[in-house]
Amino acid sequence: MKRHLPLLVFLVALAVSPVMLSEFYVTLLNYIGLYSIVALGLVLLTGVGGLTSFGQAAFVGLGAYATGYLTTAHAVSPWLALLIGLALTAVVALILGFMTLRLSGHYLPLGTIAWGISLYFLFGNLDFLGGHTGLTSIPVLELFGYRLDTGRRFYYIIWIALLGAILATQNLLNSREGRAIRALKGGGLMAEAMGVNTARTKTVIFIIAALFACVSGWLYAHLQRFVNPTPFGLHIGIEYLFMAVVGGAAHVWGALVGAGLITVLKQWLQDILPKIFGQSGNFEVIFFGLMLIIVLQRARDGIWPWLIRVLPSMETGERVVAEAEPLPRRQMPATGAVVLEVKNARKVFGGLVANNNMSLTVKAGEVMALIGPNGAGKSTMFNCISGVAPVTSGEIDFLGQRIETLESREIVRRGMGRTFQHVRLLPTMSVLENVAIGAHLRGSKGVLSASLHLERTEEARLLAEAKRQLERVGLGGHLFDEAGSLPLGQQRLMEIARALCTDPCLLLLDEPAAGLRYLEKQALAELLRKLRGEGMGILLVEHDMDFVMGLADRVVVMEFGEKISEGLPEEVQKDPVVLEAYLGGVE
Amino acid sequence: MKVKSIVVALLSAGAVTLAHADITVGVSVSATGPAASLGIPEQNTFTLMPTEIGGEKVKYIILDDASDTTTAVRNARKFVSEDKVDAIIGSTITPNSLAMIDVAAEAETPLVSMAASARIVEPMDPKRHWVFKTPQNDLQMSTAITEHMSNLGVKTVAFIGFSDAYGEGWWNEFSKMVDLRKLKMVANERFSRTDTSVTGQVLKIMSANPDAILIAGSGTPSALPQKALKEKGYKGKIYQTHGAANNDFLRVCGKDCEGTFMPTGPMLVASQLPDTNPMKKSALDYVTKYEKAFGAGSVATFGGHAWDAGMLLVNAIPVALKKSKPGTKEFRAALRDALEGTKELYASHGVFTMTPTDHLGLDQRARVMVRVEGGKWVLEK
Amino acid sequence: MNLEIALLLGQDGIVNGAIYALLALALVLVFAVTRVIFIPQGEFVAYGALTLATFQMGKTPNTIWLLLGVGILVALIDTIIAVRGGNLGRLKRIVLWNLVLPAVVVGLVLLLEPGKLPLAAQVALTLAIVVPLGPMVYRLVYQPLAEASVLILLIVSVAVHLVLAGLGLLFFGAEGSRTTPFSEAQFQLGTLAVNGQTVFVVGTSVVLIIALYQFFGRTLYGKALRATAINRVGARLMGISNTMAGKLSFTLAAGIGALSGILISPITTVYYDTGFMIGLKGFVAAIIAGLASYPLAAAGAVLVGLLESFSSFWASAFKEVIVFTLIIPVLMWRSLTSHHVEEEE
Repeated sequence: MKRHLPLLVFLVALAVSPVMLSEFYVTLLNYIGLYSIVALGLVLLTGVGGLTSFGQAAFVGLGAYATGYLTTAHAVSPWLALLIGLALTAVVALILGFMTLRLSGHYLPLGTIAWGISLYFLFGNLDFLGGHTGLTSIPVLELFGYRLDTGRRFYYIIWIALLGAILATQNLLNSREGRAIRALKGGGLMAEAMGVNTARTKTVIFIIAALFACVSGWLYAHLQRFVNPTPFGLHIGIEYLFMAVVGGAAHVWGALVGAGLITVLKQWLQDILPKIFGQSGNFEVIFFGLMLIIVLQRARDGIWPWLIRVLPSMETGERVVAEAEPLPRRQMPATGAVVLEVKNARKVFGGLVANNNMSLTVKAGEVMALIGPNGAGKSTMFNCISGVAPVTSGEIDFLGQRIETLESREIVRRGMGRTFQHVRLLPTMSVLENVAIGAHLRGSKGVLSASLHLERTEEARLLAEAKRQLERVGLGGHLFDEAGSLPLGQQRLMEIARALCTDPCLLLLDEPAAGLRYLEKQALAELLRKLRGEGMGILLVEHDMDFVMGLADRVVVMEFGEKISEGLPEEVQKDPVVLEAYLGGVE
Repeated sequence: MKVKSIVVALLSAGAVTLAHADITVGVSVSATGPAASLGIPEQNTFTLMPTEIGGEKVKYIILDDASDTTTAVRNARKFVSEDKVDAIIGSTITPNSLAMIDVAAEAETPLVSMAASARIVEPMDPKRHWVFKTPQNDLQMSTAITEHMSNLGVKTVAFIGFSDAYGEGWWNEFSKMVDLRKLKMVANERFSRTDTSVTGQVLKIMSANPDAILIAGSGTPSALPQKALKEKGYKGKIYQTHGAANNDFLRVCGKDCEGTFMPTGPMLVASQLPDTNPMKKSALDYVTKYEKAFGAGSVATFGGHAWDAGMLLVNAIPVALKKSKPGTKEFRAALRDALEGTKELYASHGVFTMTPTDHLGLDQRARVMVRVEGGKWVLEK
Repeated sequence: MNLEIALLLGQDGIVNGAIYALLALALVLVFAVTRVIFIPQGEFVAYGALTLATFQMGKTPNTIWLLLGVGILVALIDTIIAVRGGNLGRLKRIVLWNLVLPAVVVGLVLLLEPGKLPLAAQVALTLAIVVPLGPMVYRLVYQPLAEASVLILLIVSVAVHLVLAGLGLLFFGAEGSRTTPFSEAQFQLGTLAVNGQTVFVVGTSVVLIIALYQFFGRTLYGKALRATAINRVGARLMGISNTMAGKLSFTLAAGIGALSGILISPITTVYYDTGFMIGLKGFVAAIIAGLASYPLAAAGAVLVGLLESFSSFWASAFKEVIVFTLIIPVLMWRSLTSHHVEEEE
C-alpha cells in the first residue's frame, strides 16, 4: 500500500485539479497532458528502444489535420475522424518506418528530420488543409451529448487518455514483447539470436509512438478548434524529444515529468523575466536553454530517476515468481541421430578468410568440443552455424534441413540455443528478465494483449520457465539482481540459462567455463552431462582443457580457420599436428 | 535601485494578481521566432502607449508568443483567466490571431488583431463579433497594386512570396485582383525567409518574362528576390508589399531597390503628405514618438498597426467607462460596443469607421503608393 | 529549361554546396572527436556574418560583451577548480586565454573604429571575437558532459542552439544584413556570367578543405585529433587530453562557421537565425558521409546544394519537401552499403 501512496496522491490531485485551479492552470495542465502523450511515445521509441526521432510532431499533425479536415470539410463525426486518423497514421508510419527504420546509426535521426520537414511543408502547401494560414471552426467534441467546449471539460479526456497510455506502455514493457523492445537498445544481435524479429519490433514501437502522437494531435485539434502547420514543425519535434530526455527517457513517468517541467519552466520564465528586464527584449529562450543545460549537466538521465530516489519507489515490479504450468517442450531427436552437419563451410571478411573448408557433425546426446588456439576461427564458426554471421559458402544442415541462409531467429526457432563469447546481456534488466528473453518464441501473445495485460497466464509460464532454468544453473538466488551486477562467470551461467529457455535440442556454448571457480565448473560440467543425458546435443568451445577433456565425447581442433584434427579426446591429445599447433615453435 | 526592483520582482513573481480597478490590456506579440521582425516594433510600440485613459490607469501585459499558435492561445487563456483583462491585442500574424478568436469569444473579451488577413474579421459571425483588426486587408492593398500596374500599362505579372501565411494571404488576394483587372499571371513562386538563394525561382520567373513582379515578403528577407532579379538583369517593374516597408529593407537592398513600388499606410511617408491631409497629423504623431524613443529611421509600419490598435482602445475606453467599471463582464461588452462604434478615428495607418459588419473600418485613405527613390520612400502622386 | 538556366542553377547549387561542405566538415570533425552533433554550428555562421556587418555599419557589435562575459565565467570556474586542486601553475594560462585575450580584442574594437579599417582587418577582428567562443562553449557546456551518451549531447546541443540564437536576436535584431563583397569582378564563362564573390566562396572552401586535410595528415595537433576520434581512451593513455582535443575541434568548428558566414554575407542576406537551416543542410551532408568521411561530406554537400537549386526552379513551394524526401533514398543507400558497428555505446 505504501508503495502506491505517491501514485494515489497524484491521481487524487489530478482528479480535483479542474475544480480547484483557474481556467489558465487547467489549460496548462491540458497542454502538459497533450505533450506527455507524445513524449510517452518517444520514451518507448527513443529512451527504451534506442531509436531517436525528431519527427513526432509530424504525426501529431497527421492526427490534427485528419480530424480538422474531415470534420470541417465533410462533417464527419470527430470520433470517426479519430479512427480514420489513427489508420492513416499507422499507414504513414508503416511506410516511413519501412524506409527509415532500416537506416542504421545516425542515418535514422536524419531520416526522421527529413520526413518531419517534408510533412510540415506538405501541410502548409496543400490548399484543402488550409495552407499555411490554417483550418478554423473545428467542431467541439461531444461525449454522450456532453459538449467538451471548455478547457475544464476537456481536461478529463486528455488525462484519461494519457494515464491509459502510460498504463498500457508500462504493461507492454513488462511483458514478453516488452523485453524484446527493451533489448533493442544495445542488445539487438542477442535478441535476434533469441528469436526476436528486431526489425518487426522496431516497426511496432515506431507505429505505437506515432499513434500516441496522432491521438495527441486529435485532442489538440478539438481543444484548440484551429489547426495550422506551425505546431507540427521540426522545432516542436525537437521539443518533444527535449521533454522525454529531460524527464528521463528510459521511464514512462519521465514523459510526464519532462512535459510538465518544460511547460512550467517556460511559463515561469515568461512571468518572471519581464519583471527583471522590463517589457522590451526577449530573454525567455536564452534562459530556457541555459536552465536545460544546467539540468542535464546535473541529472544526465533526466529528472525522473532523480525523483524516485527521493520518493519511495513506484516502479519496481513484483518480487516473486508465481508457480505456473510448465511450457510445452519440443520433441527431442533420438540419441545418436545427427542433429548438425557442417559441410565445407567457408567464411570470408573482406579479404580475410576466417573459416575454410570446415566440416563437423554433432549428434543428439553427445558433447562435441571445438578447440584451437586464439584466433583459430571458433567463434566465427559458431556465428556461421547460428546464423549471426552467415557463411560465405558451404552447407549447414540442422535436423535434416538446410539453414545456412536463414536468419538467426529462424535457426533458434528450429531448436538451436547459444551463448556468446563476449557476454551479451542487458545490464540494467533483472537476471530473470534477461533469461526470459530466451523464452521469447515459446510465447505468442502480442503487443495488444500485453498492453491490456490479457497475457498474464502465458507471462507467468514464461517467467516460471526462466526461473526454473536459472535454478538449474545455480543462479536461483539472483533472480531479481541487475544482470550487470553479476560477476562475469555468473553472467556466463545466466547466458546458458537463457539459451536453455529457448528449449533447444542443440546447445552452442562459447567458453562457458571462463571466469568460473573450480566448484562452479564442476557444477556446470554436471549440468551439461545431465543435459546430454536428456538427449541434447552440445557444441562447446572452451580453452580449459581439463574441463573439455573430462566432458567431451568427440573433439574437433581448428587452426587458422581450418580443421586440423578430429577424434576422441584422447586421440587428439596425442595428435602431433595438434601438439604443434598448441605448443608450436618449441623445438 | 535596480537591484531592489529585481528583488521585488522576484518576490512578487508567482504571487496571485490582486483584484484591481485599473484597466488591463493583454498583448500577445510574435517578438521571437520567424515573425520577430514584425513583432519587435509592435512590442516596442506598447512602451509608448498612454498609461492613463479616461482617468483610469491602464496596464499592458505584454507576452511573446514566439510566432507559435499554441503559445498564442496559451497567452490568451492567461489574459482572460489570470489577468482578467478588459481587452486583448494580438497577435502579430494571421494563424495566431485566428487561433485566439475562440478564446476571446468564449471569455466575451474584445480582441484587436494586428495581422493582415481578412479572414480574421470576415465573415461576421457570433465569434467574430468580438474581434477587430487594424492592418489593411491584403485585398485592399492588392487593389492598389493592380490599379497602379494597369495604369502603367502592365499586361503580365509574376508573384513570388514567402512560403508561409503571409505569402499565402497575398497570393490569394492578389491573384484574384489580377484576374479581375484582366492582367495575366505568368508565374507563382515561393521562398523561405531564411533562404540563402532564390536563383531557381528568379530564373523561372524571368523565363516567363513578366512586365511586373510582386514580391510578397516582410522586412529584409524581401530584398533577396529583388537583388537576385536585378543581378540577373530583370528590367521590368518590381512591386513590394507594405510588409517590406522599413528602413532595414532599404539598407539591405541598397541601389537594387531604386524604383520599387509598394502600397502602404500613409504613416511611412507622413511628412510628405500635404498639410491639408488630416492623416498627416495623426500619422506623424506616432512616427515622432517612436523615433524619439528608438532612434531616427527606426519606425516600421508594423508598429503602426499596434499603435492603431492602442488608439482604438483609447478612443473606445472613455465611452465604455460611462457604462461600467473595468474588470467586469459589462465593461468588456461595453468596450466591444464602443469599438464597433468607432467613427472617423484618425490613426497612423488610416481612418477607422467600424460597423457591425466591418470590424476593420479602413477606407481608401488607409493606403498610398510609394516609390523608392534615392534610398528613401517617396509618395507616388 | 534550357542549358543556360541549367548552368546557372548548377553554379548556384555549387556555391551553396561549398558552404554546406565547409559546415559539414566541421560537423564531422566535432562529432568524430567529441561525439557531439554540433547544432549550434549555424549560430557561428550568423555571428560571424553579423559581427562583420555591424562593423561595416560603423557600430560596435554586442558579441564583444558576450566574449568578455563568457571569458570571465570560464576563468572563474577554472580558477576555482585550479585552486581547489592546488594546481596554481595553471592560473597564468587561464587568465591569459580567458581574460587577457578577450580584453585585448574588446580593447581593439573599441579603440580602432573598425568601420574604417580595411576589409581584411575587419575580418580578422570578427574572427578574433567569434572563434574563441567555440572552445569556451566547449569548456562550459560539453566538458562536464564528456562521457554522456550521444543523445544527451545532442539535446544539450539543441539547448546551446536556443541560447545562442536567442542572444543573436538580442544582439542583432530580427532584420538581416549584408556585407561588402570581397570582389566586385564579373567573369564571362562562355554564356555564363560568373560573379567574383561566388568564385571567392568556392575557392576559399576548396582551399580550406585542402588545408584541413593537410592539418590532419601532417601536423601533430591534427594527428592528435585523429587519434582521439579513433579511440578516445587509447588517445588519452597516449597522453592526448580529450579536453584539449575537444577544445581544439570546437575552435576549428567555430572558425569554419564564422568564416562561412563571412563568405556568404556578401551574396545573401544573413539573419540571426539563418544558421539553423544552413547548419541542417551541412548536417545532411555530414550524415550522408556517415559522420566520418571528409571527401564524402563535401560531395554530399554539393549534392544537397544542387538538389535545392533545381527543386527551387521546378517547384519552389515544395522545395524543402523535395530536398528532404530525396535525401531518404540516399540515406537508405548509404545505410545499406556502409559498414557499421551494430551495438554502439
